Amino acid sequence: MLVVAAVLAGMVWSRLAYWQVVQHGRLAMQAQAQYREFVQLPALRGAIFDRNLKQLVVNTTVYSAFVSPDQVAAGDRDRVATGLSSVLGADKAKVMTTLASNTKFAYIQRRFAKTKADQLRPLKLPGVGLQEETQRSYLPGIATGSTLAANVLGFVDWNGDGKYGVEQNYQQVLGGTPGFISSYRDLANREIVLGTHTHQDPINGQDLVLSLDANIQYAAEQALADGVKRDNAESGSVLIMDPNTGGIVAWADYPSYNANDFNHTDPALFKDNIVGSVYEPGSVMKVVTLSGAMNAGAITPDTVINDPGVLSVGGYRIYDWDRRNHGNVDYTYVLAHSLNVGAMKAMQAEGHPAFYSNLQAFGLTKPSGIDVADENCLLPPAADKMSDSQYATASFGQGIDVNMVQMLAAINVVANGGKYAPPHVVERVGTHINPVLLQPQRQAISPQTAAKMTAMMQQVVQHGSGWTSRIKGFELDQAGKTGTSQIPVNGQYTQDVWASFVGFLPAQHPKFTMLVVIRKPHYPGADRDWTLNDGYMTAEPIWKTIAQSLVVDWHITPDPH
Amino acid sequence: MRGDRSTGSANDLAKDEVHVLTSTRILARRRLGTAGATPHVTAQPRRRRRTRGFVQVAGAVAAERLRLNMFGHAYVGVGAVVIGLLFYLALAAQITQASYDMSRLQDQQRQLIAEQDQLRYQEVTMHAPAMVQQQAAQSGMQRVVPSSYVAGSPVAIDLTTPLGASPADATPLWMRAVATVVNAVGGTRDVMAATKH
Repeated sequence: MLVVAAVLAGMVWSRLAYWQVVQHGRLAMQAQAQYREFVQLPALRGAIFDRNLKQLVVNTTVYSAFVSPDQVAAGDRDRVATGLSSVLGADKAKVMTTLASNTKFAYIQRRFAKTKADQLRPLKLPGVGLQEETQRSYLPGIATGSTLAANVLGFVDWNGDGKYGVEQNYQQVLGGTPGFISSYRDLANREIVLGTHTHQDPINGQDLVLSLDANIQYAAEQALADGVKRDNAESGSVLIMDPNTGGIVAWADYPSYNANDFNHTDPALFKDNIVGSVYEPGSVMKVVTLSGAMNAGAITPDTVINDPGVLSVGGYRIYDWDRRNHGNVDYTYVLAHSLNVGAMKAMQAEGHPAFYSNLQAFGLTKPSGIDVADENCLLPPAADKMSDSQYATASFGQGIDVNMVQMLAAINVVANGGKYAPPHVVERVGTHINPVLLQPQRQAISPQTAAKMTAMMQQVVQHGSGWTSRIKGFELDQAGKTGTSQIPVNGQYTQDVWASFVGFLPAQHPKFTMLVVIRKPHYPGADRDWTLNDGYMTAEPIWKTIAQSLVVDWHITPDPH
Repeated sequence: MRGDRSTGSANDLAKDEVHVLTSTRILARRRLGTAGATPHVTAQPRRRRRTRGFVQVAGAVAAERLRLNMFGHAYVGVGAVVIGLLFYLALAAQITQASYDMSRLQDQQRQLIAEQDQLRYQEVTMHAPAMVQQQAAQSGMQRVVPSSYVAGSPVAIDLTTPLGASPADATPLWMRAVATVVNAVGGTRDVMAATKH
C-alpha cells in the first residue's frame, strides 16, 4: 500500500516538476504574452539631401483601411461597403464579398493619403479601422510615371527595408534603431495606466548628404529621355562626376521608374544599368591604353606609326573601324580618329604586363566600390591567362567588360591630374564626412602624362570624332572621346552597339566629367549608314545638352587662351 | 490629590509614581532626594504604562458621548467604507479620464505629425526641379541656352610689375602761383581732378 502510494505520489510530483521546471520558460512566456503588451516604437528614417541641401526624400504618413467582417452586422454591410467605395474608390461588390466572408481581417486599401483618411473617419463605419504607416515619398521626375534619381536612391519597401541604390546600401544608417514600450494590459486588452512600464526611446536614422545636384540630375534625365527616344534606343544612362573628389553629380537612367509606386512597377526596371550592368567600353578605352603607354615612356603624342588599317594578332586580323589604310600617323591622330591599329600598337609597345598593370592603376580590374547597392562587374582574367588577341581587343575596349562607374572613374584620372578619385555618392553621414573623402588619392599616372592626354582629348573634340559635342565658347576647352562597341550575344558580336561619349570641361581646370552610354540605338537612317549609330551621333548630342545646363547652372567659364 | 501623595512616604511615592505624568529624570531626582537617608531600600519594580492612541481615545469619547449601540457602530463602519469607496471611485474616474485624454492627445499629435509631413512634402515638391520647370512654363518662361560665351583673354596689365616712384609734379611754378592766388581769392578748388594724365 505504501509502495503504491509512493509511486502515485512520485507520478504526481514528477508531473508537477515537468510543468514547473521543464516547461517553466514556455509557460511563463505564454502567460506574459497574455498580460504584457509590447509596442515597438519605430525609428524615424533619415532624410536624404543633395549637395545644395535640397531634400530628395520625405517621410510621410499614409493610411491603410481594414475591416473585421465578423464585427460588421449583416444589416450594416451595405452602408460599410458604400462608405468604403465612395471614399476610397474600392469596388463595392468586392467589399461586400469580403464582408460576407468568414475572415477576421482584410485590408480594403493600403497606403492612401491623409485626405482620404480624414474623409473616412467621420463616417464611423463599424468594423472598419485605419492603420497608420510611414512611407518614403520621392520628388517628381521628368514625367508623371517617374521620380527624380530613382535608380540611385532606390526605395523603401513596406517593411521599412531599403531596396536598391543608396536606400539599400545605407539601410543600417538611415533606418536607425527602433525603441519599444512594454506595459501590462487588462482582460479587455486595455493598457493598465498605473502598471509597470518599460520604455526605450528609438534612435532615429541619420541624414545623408549626397554629392548629387538635383538640378543637374533633372537636366540629365530630361536630356537622356529625349536622346534615347530620338535614337530609337533600348535604354541609356548618364553619369557625371566631380573630377576632384569623385563625387557623383548626376546618375540618370532611362527608362526609369516611379519609386512612389514601386509595388506597381515592373521589377526589371529596378535594375540599374549604371552599376548593375557591364558593357564593353569600345574606343573610350583608348584613353586608358594610350595614357598607360605614354606613362611607361613607350610612346608620345607625336610618335609616328604606320597604320595600314589592319593588324594580325594571335591568328586574327583586326581592323580599324573604317578599314582604311591611314599610312603614317601620330598618336594624337590615332586618338582623334579612333584607330584600333594604333591602340594595339601602343599596347604592344609597352608590353602585356605593363598594359595589365595600367588596367589595375585605372581601377578596371576590381569593383569600383561605390556606395550604391548591387554593383556588378566582370573582372578580366589574370594577366597570364589572357591571350594575345584578348590583349589586342582589350586595348581598344572590346572583349573587356566594365560598368559605367569603373569607366568614368578611370577616365577621371586624366581630368584629375593623374590621380584616382574613388567614386562615391554620399558626402556626409549625419555630421560625419565620408571617410573616402579624407583619404589621399592614389596617383595612377603622372600629372605630365595626364596633361598630354588632356591635350590629345582636346584634339578629339577639335579635329576628330568629338565634333558634335562642341559647345559654343568652349570649343578649345573641351576634352572628350567617343566609343562604339558591338554587343555580343551568345559569344557572337551583333550589329547592335553600345554608343558612348566621355568628356570633361574646361579641359585645363575640369569642373565635371561626364559619361553617356546609349544601348542599341537605331538612329534614323542607320539601316543605310550604320555609323550613324556611333557615339558621335547618339551619345554626344546628349552630352552636349547636359554640359550646357552644367555650364549655365554652375557658372563655368572657358579657360583663357 | 497628587500633591497630597507627594508629601507621603518614600514607599508610597514609589508605588504611585507610575501614575504620575513626570519625566524619568524628575522621578530619579525625587527618588534620590527622599531615599538619601535610606539608601538600601529597594524600589518596587516599575510597570510600564500602556498609552492609549488617539483613535482609541477619540473612539471612546465619541462612544461615550454618542452612546452608540452595536448597530450604530455598524453604521459608522459602513459609512466609512462608503466614503472610502467613493474616494476610490473618484480617483479611478480621474485616472480613466486622464487616460482617455492622453489617448486623444496622442491621436491628435499623430494627426498633426501626419499633417506636418504632408506639408513638408508639399513644400519640398514645390522646390523640386520638375515643379519649378512646370511653373516656369506655365508662366511663359523658357530656358534659353546662351548663344555664345565670351572667351577669356590674357590679362593686359602685368600685375607683377613693380609700381616704381611716384611721378614728379611737372606743373610750372607760375601756374602754381596763379592757382594759389585764385584759391585764396575764390576759394579752394580741386584743380588736379581736372588734370589729364
